[in-house]
Amino acid sequence: MRWLIRTLSKRLFRGRKNQSRDARAANQTGDGNLFRAPRKNQVLSPDLETNLKAIKAIFDKCSDVIYREFVFAQNEQIRLALIYIDGLADKGQVSEQIMRALALEVPMVVPGQEITKARALEFIKQRGLCMHQVKETDKLQDVIHAILSGDTVLLVDGHTCAIINGARGWEARSITDPVAEPTVRGPRESFVETLRTNTALIRRRIKSPGLKIETLRLGEVTNTDVAIAYVEGIVNDKLVEEVKSRLERIKVDAVLETGYIEELIEDNPWSPFPTVNHTEKPDRVAAMLLEGRVAILVDGTPFVLTVPTLFVEYLQASEDYYERFLFASAVRLIRFVSMILSLTLPSLYIAAISFHHELFPTPLLLSIAAQREAVPFPVFIEVLIMELSFEILREAGVRLPRPIGQAVSIVGALVIGEASVRAGLIAAATVIVVALTGIASFTFFYSFSIAFRLLRFTLMVLSAALGLLGLISGLAVITIHLCSLRSFGVPYLSPMIPTTGVDLKDVVLRSPWWGMFTRPRLIARQDQKRQEQGLKPTPPKNPRP
Amino acid sequence: MLEKGKIDSNQAVMLMVSLVLPTAILFVPAIIVKHARQDAWLAAIVALLGGLLIARLVVSLSLRFPEKTLFEYAQTILGKVPGKLVGLLYIWWFLYTGALIMDEFASFLCTAIMPETPPVVLFLVGIAVAAYAVRNGLEVLSRYNQLLLPILLGLLVITFLLVTKDMKAERLLPVFDQSAPAILKGAAVPLSWLGEIVLFAMIIPFLQKPREAHRVAALATLFTGLFFAICTVVTLSVFGPNLAAHWVFPVYNTVRVVSIANFLERLDIIIVAVWVFGGFAKMGVFYYAAVLGSAQWLGLKDYRPLVAPVGLLLIGLALLCDNIVDLLDFAARAWPPYALIVFEVGMPLFLMIVALVRGKGESNA
Repeated sequence: MRWLIRTLSKRLFRGRKNQSRDARAANQTGDGNLFRAPRKNQVLSPDLETNLKAIKAIFDKCSDVIYREFVFAQNEQIRLALIYIDGLADKGQVSEQIMRALALEVPMVVPGQEITKARALEFIKQRGLCMHQVKETDKLQDVIHAILSGDTVLLVDGHTCAIINGARGWEARSITDPVAEPTVRGPRESFVETLRTNTALIRRRIKSPGLKIETLRLGEVTNTDVAIAYVEGIVNDKLVEEVKSRLERIKVDAVLETGYIEELIEDNPWSPFPTVNHTEKPDRVAAMLLEGRVAILVDGTPFVLTVPTLFVEYLQASEDYYERFLFASAVRLIRFVSMILSLTLPSLYIAAISFHHELFPTPLLLSIAAQREAVPFPVFIEVLIMELSFEILREAGVRLPRPIGQAVSIVGALVIGEASVRAGLIAAATVIVVALTGIASFTFFYSFSIAFRLLRFTLMVLSAALGLLGLISGLAVITIHLCSLRSFGVPYLSPMIPTTGVDLKDVVLRSPWWGMFTRPRLIARQDQKRQEQGLKPTPPKNPRP
Repeated sequence: MLEKGKIDSNQAVMLMVSLVLPTAILFVPAIIVKHARQDAWLAAIVALLGGLLIARLVVSLSLRFPEKTLFEYAQTILGKVPGKLVGLLYIWWFLYTGALIMDEFASFLCTAIMPETPPVVLFLVGIAVAAYAVRNGLEVLSRYNQLLLPILLGLLVITFLLVTKDMKAERLLPVFDQSAPAILKGAAVPLSWLGEIVLFAMIIPFLQKPREAHRVAALATLFTGLFFAICTVVTLSVFGPNLAAHWVFPVYNTVRVVSIANFLERLDIIIVAVWVFGGFAKMGVFYYAAVLGSAQWLGLKDYRPLVAPVGLLLIGLALLCDNIVDLLDFAARAWPPYALIVFEVGMPLFLMIVALVRGKGESNA
C-alpha cells in the first residue's frame, strides 16, 4: 500500500519537483530572476545618490515605494532621504515625527557646536527623531527588508548607516468575534491578520517573562514573519527544538496561511486526521501554552497552530473551561456521542436495513418498512444520494454570497427534505438519519469533522457490502490507525491510550478547576504542578449574615 | 531488534487477556459443561490454577533470557539446529492456532448474523484488519487492544447484570455431583486455552519492565480464568446444565435472553460487534507472533515483508476446516491434548530442564 502511494506520488509530483529545481538553478545563475536581489552582505555606500540609485534599481517599477529627499534643518549641506512604502508606513507619524522634526523644527544646539556632516547621524539619532523604535544598519539587505516590512528608512548623506524607523501602520481588520469558534461564555476576541497584534493578544493573557516569542522568516518570495510562542519552564525543551527544526526545513516560495506550514510539518501527511490543531481564539492559545504546547503564528492569518495535538482537543471547546464543570462535562459527553454518530450513523442504518433487521424493535421495523415500500432505490443508494446532496448544500452554504444564503437554505430544506419524501423517492427515516448525522458533525471542530466526513463515506460503502462486519472492520482499521498516530512525539489518543490516569480528568468529563492539579503529563514534561491542592471551596461553618 | 516498540505492563496484561478471552468465552463454556455439568465452574477454577502454573513456567523460562524471544533462546538452549526445529514447530503452532481462531470467529459470525456469507470473505476481512495492526507493530496492536478490551468486558458485564433476573442459583446444585476425573476432563479444555499464554514468551522482551512479567502473566491468567468461571456460572444459572451443554454459544444465547421493558432487547448484535473487535485483537496477537517468529527464524532484519505471505497462509489453513461441527469436535477433543501436551507444557518444560542442566541463562530470575 505504502509503496504504491509512494511511487504514485513520485510519478505525479516529479514534474513539479524538477521545475522547482530548474527555477532554483536559474536563480543561482542569475538569469530569470524574480527581482534584482541585493548581494548578500552588500553594504551601503557613504554617498546618498549611490544608495538611492541602488534601492531604486531594486524597487524598479514598484509604484508604491515613496522616496522623499530633503535637507536637514540644522545644516543645509546635509541631505537626507526617506524611503517607505505607501500604505504600509503610518504617514501621520512619518510626516510629524520624522519629516517635521528634521526638516523644520530646529532642536536647541549648543553654540559653537554646529552639526557637521560627520556628527549628523549621531545627532539625528539622539535628538532629531521623535520615534520610539529606531534601529541602525549598514547592510543593503536589511534596508530592503525594513522597507518591505513597512518601516521607514532614513538615509543620511555621508554615512554608511541607515536609520530604520518603526513607523508601521496600515489598514487592518480590527479585533472581532471569532467566526469559526463562537462562544456563549468566554472572551470574544479573536486573532487578526497582523502578527504583532496577535502576539500582543497572547501576551495580554500570559503576563510573564516566561512567555517567549521567537520569530523567523519563511517563504523565499513572501518573506513571511512566523513566530513560535511557548512558556519557558512548562514546555518540553525538546519539543521547541523539534518545532524549530521542522520549521527551518521548510523551503517554499510562499506562506500565505498557517495551512501551508501545517502540511509541511505534520507527522502523518496521509492521515485523514489532523495532527496539528489550529484556533483563532487567543484564550485557547494561552490555555494551550500553559499546558506546555507550542504555538506557531503566521503574519497574515488569524489562525494559530498549536502542537502537539491530541485527539481529545477537538472535543474540548474553550467554553468547557468557563462553564461550571458539571454542565461542561455533560455537554462534552454530548459532543462525544455526536462524534460517534456523525461517523457511524448512516452506515449503521445501511447495515441494519440491508442485513440486520433484527436490530430494530418490531414496531419501528414495520414503520420503516412501510416508509420504504415506495422507495425505488436500495438503501445504500438512498443514503448516498442524501449524504451527497447534504454535502453539496453545505459547500454551497460556505461559498455563496451572503444574500443568496436564504434562498439556498429554503431550496435545500424544501427540495431535499420535504419534496423528496413526498415524492416517495426517499424514506423519511433516511432524511432523519442524514440530517442528524449532518447536525452532529457540527458539534465539534470543523477541521476535525472533515476527517469524519471522508471516513463516513468509506464506512457506508463497507457496510453496504458486508453489513455490520464491514462497519466493524472499518472502525477497527480507523482505531488502529488512530493508535498509530503521533503528533510531535505524543501519541494521538493519549491520555486515553496509552492511559495516563491523572490526565483522564479532562477527556470525556472535565474535572472541576480545584481538581486539576497537574498539567498533561505527556506534553508538559517540566513543571507538572498546575496549582495548589485543596482549593475546593468550603464555606465557613457558621455563616454570618 | 525486529520490534522497536515497548509496551507497559498494563497493556501487556490486557493483551494477554485478549490472547485468550474473545474466542474462549464463545466456545469453552459449552464444552466444559458437557464434561463437568453443573460443576463446570469448579472445572474452570481448576483450569485457572493449572493456567497459573503454566504462566509461571513460561515466564521463569523467558526471564532467564530477558532480551530474547522464544525463538532466540530455544537456539541458545538447544544449539542451532534443534533450536531451529523447535522454532519451526512453534511457527506451525502459532499459524495453526491463528487459523483456528479465524475459523472459530467465522463460524460464529456465520451462525449468528451472516448465514449466507462465505467464510473466505470473513477470513479476508479479518486478515486485512489484523494485517494492518501487525504491520503497525506491537505497540499499536496493544494500544488498540487497550482501547477496546475494557469496552468489550464492560458490555459483557452489563449484559450479565441485565440477565440476573433470569438466573436461578438452584440450577448450580448439587455441587460436587460429578466425579473428580470428569471435572478434570472438563478443566482440560479451558486449560488448553489458558495455556495460550505461552505466546507471552514472544512479548516479554518488549516489556518496558521485564521484571514485572511474572505479575503480568499471573494477573492476566487470573483475570481470564475468573472471567471464564463467571461466564460458566452465568450460563449455568440461566440455562441449567442440560440446555447450556446443548447450545453452541451459550454466552451468546445468554445475552439473547435479555429483555427489559420490551425495548432493551436484541442486545446480541451489540455483543457480536464488540466480540468481533476482540477477535481482531486475538487474531492480531497470534498473527504477530507467527510473523515475528518467522522473521527471527529466517534471520530477517524486518518482519514487515512477511505480513502478507503469513496472512495468506492463515487463510489457506483456515479454509481446511469445513464446517462448525468439524470445528467444534476438533476444538473439544483434538486440540486440547495436542496444544497442551506439546506446546503449552511439554516444550517449555523440556526447554527449562535443558536450560537448568546446561546452565544457560541467568539463574536469578
